[in-house]
Amino acid sequence: MSLLRRHAGEIATILVVAASLLIPRFTDDPLPISLANQILIAITAAFSVYLMLRMNLLTFAVPAFMAIGGYAAAIAGLQGGVTDAIALTALSFVAPAIVALPIGVLVLRLRGVYFVLVTFVLSEIVQLVLFETPQLTGGSNGLVGMPSTTAFGIELADNASVLVLTAAVALAAALVTALVTSLCRQHFAAIEENEPLAQSLGLVVWHYKVLGFVVAAGLAGMAGFSLVNMLLTAHPTSFGPGSSVNYIAYTIVGGRTSILGPVLGSALLVTLTNLFSNQGQYSQGLYGLLIVVVVLVARGGIVGTAMALVRRVGGLRPATAHLATGTAAPRGT
Amino acid sequence: MTSFVTATLIGVSLGAQYALLALGFTLIFGILGVVNFAHGGFYVLGGYAAYWFVSAAGLPYPLAVVLATLVTGILGYLFELLLIERLVDDHLATLMLTLGLYLMLSTGILITFGPESPLFEFPLNGTLRAGPFYFPIANLVVLAVCLLAILGVYALIFRTDLGRALRALADDRQVAAAQGLRPRLLFPLAFALACGLAGMTGALVTPILSLAPHVGDPVLATSFLIVILGGLGSIGGATVAAFLVGLVEAYSSVYLGGSKGALALFVLVLIILVVRPSGLFGRIAREA
Amino acid sequence: MRGPKTIRAGAIAAIVALAAIAPARAACEVKFGALGPLSGPAAQWGLAVKGAAEFVAAEENAAGGLQVGQEKCRVTVTAFDAKYNAEGAAAGANYFVSQGVRFVIGPVGSPEMTGVKPIAARNNLLVMGDSFAKNAIGPQWPLVFHSGPGPSGWAPSIVDVAKQTYGIKSVVIVAPNDQGGTDIASVDAEAYRRHGVEPAEEYYQRGTSNFAAIAARIIARNPDAVDTASSPPGDAGVIVKQLRQAGYKGVLGRLGGSGTEEIARVAGGMDVLQNFYWYENVVVDERLKALGERYRQLVGAERPENTLFYPFVAATRMVTKAIAKAGTATDTKAVAAALRTLPVDDPDFGQGLWIGQDFYGINQELSFPFGIGLIVDGKPRPIAKHEAATGK
Repeated sequence: MSLLRRHAGEIATILVVAASLLIPRFTDDPLPISLANQILIAITAAFSVYLMLRMNLLTFAVPAFMAIGGYAAAIAGLQGGVTDAIALTALSFVAPAIVALPIGVLVLRLRGVYFVLVTFVLSEIVQLVLFETPQLTGGSNGLVGMPSTTAFGIELADNASVLVLTAAVALAAALVTALVTSLCRQHFAAIEENEPLAQSLGLVVWHYKVLGFVVAAGLAGMAGFSLVNMLLTAHPTSFGPGSSVNYIAYTIVGGRTSILGPVLGSALLVTLTNLFSNQGQYSQGLYGLLIVVVVLVARGGIVGTAMALVRRVGGLRPATAHLATGTAAPRGT
Repeated sequence: MTSFVTATLIGVSLGAQYALLALGFTLIFGILGVVNFAHGGFYVLGGYAAYWFVSAAGLPYPLAVVLATLVTGILGYLFELLLIERLVDDHLATLMLTLGLYLMLSTGILITFGPESPLFEFPLNGTLRAGPFYFPIANLVVLAVCLLAILGVYALIFRTDLGRALRALADDRQVAAAQGLRPRLLFPLAFALACGLAGMTGALVTPILSLAPHVGDPVLATSFLIVILGGLGSIGGATVAAFLVGLVEAYSSVYLGGSKGALALFVLVLIILVVRPSGLFGRIAREA
Repeated sequence: MRGPKTIRAGAIAAIVALAAIAPARAACEVKFGALGPLSGPAAQWGLAVKGAAEFVAAEENAAGGLQVGQEKCRVTVTAFDAKYNAEGAAAGANYFVSQGVRFVIGPVGSPEMTGVKPIAARNNLLVMGDSFAKNAIGPQWPLVFHSGPGPSGWAPSIVDVAKQTYGIKSVVIVAPNDQGGTDIASVDAEAYRRHGVEPAEEYYQRGTSNFAAIAARIIARNPDAVDTASSPPGDAGVIVKQLRQAGYKGVLGRLGGSGTEEIARVAGGMDVLQNFYWYENVVVDERLKALGERYRQLVGAERPENTLFYPFVAATRMVTKAIAKAGTATDTKAVAAALRTLPVDDPDFGQGLWIGQDFYGINQELSFPFGIGLIVDGKPRPIAKHEAATGK
């Protein structure tokens, strides 16, 4: 029971994402399907940010690894004729993870904002590399004309089956995230609380950070694959460095203390972005206003606020309550 | 050789422009620990404010620059006091707040002034020439203002009581507050100073380059790069890094072209950070 | 710490977030979707498209509605900010489908066009878009039309005029390093090469604000002309200004988007441009000035400043004509068939033709008369009206 309680956020996330597999059974209206598709991709990418934040590291590299995963899948489809969804998903996880390993070893010595800048620079570099390698990546035009993805020999071409694939990828990402954060819960918490202390107590901090970084890169890669599969194209503009802020916003607005945060944040912000988009030139400003309001009103994100409410209504013991929000306020000067 | 000297002169101009931008950014970063995503927004706002004072109010350009600096400074003051101050200890929340503000600012400018660049010229448009070499007079003005601003900020931080208080707060907020310093009074002032600097840069630089609602977009990336490269919160470091980045950008663009040059710059930054994890002049890392 | 209540709260929130927004349908209404960048650096193009669609809708409604079969239908416009990227355009297309929109005016730009086509094909949307990408339209997209020709259509004629006027023999084409730059610059380069002008391409990173170093690099090549191609007007203005500061005395040009007035504003006047040739998508004559006046009356605002507004007015009118001719506002295949056979003729824009077979393999590119602008020794000449490009 206590195990169940401790992993309630993870279980809820997995159930919610799994439930989205059923959306095509209830509707064939393209708007909810398109919206669910976008939300699930956002969730997958936001897991990457969430995992890094577990170690108190803010990453702007999500678009970079999304691009590596997405392009790897596109190239495998175009040049290798690979269409199997499971193989492509695995590839989109493994390719960025392999790239991330040496980078992680090099840059994870950096702390705080220095790390942030490196991830930021990585996104810029990947974007420029895409442009400079037209033979492999199609350069500024991107790659189009991939064969339709298949699952167990069935072609996944229509709106509904594209959504099912995106949901399945998101589910896999949720499972990976839940697994890694649960297994490393104490180590990550120690790093987040006080890294030098953890180090001095004999925790090989560095190993766990590299593991987290590599897995986070893989998660982003899976999101990249879903995006490429939805758009039927791998285009550099899909992975612009500026988009990294969106995934961070999804995670922070949702709440960084629980895996449910990226899920709720993505659902809220993506839905509202779509609503705002028919407000013409006001769309960006409304999005900005929304972020400001949520950050001011809901400290600790939606999940943090919801838990505070639950606590107030349910009258949980103060000790547990402290645990729930204790990590919400990051340290620093 | 000619192209090398030309590139060097261009690099110095770029460096002056970057140093002005990075100065405000590093102040906010060093003292408040806030990554100000709205920094580019204040740059654009400064440009449009100066444009408005010149074109609509008919004021002379130098006065317009001063007023634009004041307007952005006051706005920055209010922004810190009313919004940032509530969450100043939560770096992620302030990052989101400033991002939201930036989106609102640029939308407001787009709606008010329209998407296209207006006519906004620097009053001195001559160019100094010597043989194959040239230096636009406007860039000379920016360079001079840049040096004055750096000296001014330096004097303020290291020679006044206000500066001492700000430095104490930057070093250790708890201890400084315990000794009677009041972050609630000082932080808005620091923010106003930084935003005013961004606004002044916008007022000076946009007529030399171009003014449009989106010209603040690249400002953040450049400032961020320079401030970290120079070492956090270090005014001298940021200044050196700004000129370094300006020069590297100029050489790589001239010799490699715009796209490969940018790639070279980013790879160089990456290498520097891996070799010197605390920036060129930094001592300690602030946690994000 | 995380109780079952969290699970319930999470489930409810997710259901709310994923809930469908029911499409609304009126009795007889033809819905147009205006798609384009309405925010960000490319906003002026999207706002021009939106303005054009709204204007044509207002025209039809003022005349009592669009004739569809036996009915007079009201034309309405829904706009969507595609943010100049593929995801935004795809999201917009999906949004349109669920709102019952069958006809998309826009998008603008290569990334948006790339994003919108698969969704449009899946849902049989008719698209009247604008992108200078080499694969903007094609036989595999029978419902995708091009509102005006890309550089493949008009660049050769302008290169010809520029060569005769200024006697240029070499050119450097400068453009941003993304699809919006490369697909135009490379087509321009081909047009120059075929006319015996030696081209070189120079790409800068999108977001660059100071072009002094690029200018120095261009000058080192010592070209007779510098073509700013599809660089955004603000960028092009700075490039021109800094080229002149660096002592460049040669000819300047722009075989890409319009925006010469904005370039002149940023650069510091027509004197700075000195010798300049450019592509203008329309010649704004008395009739088009009157059109701007009509916009003010019908829509109640100033017309969008960007001249992309005009070709999109012409293109949207073609779509309404095709709907009337096909007698259906739901069967987009029938409307597309009608559109292909419609003569290209408009009281305001003159006579044109359908082109595109030679370049894209499909004749779905609208071509109206266009303009060639020239500034010679600091004196702007009246914009010369050129016959509609034939694309050959």
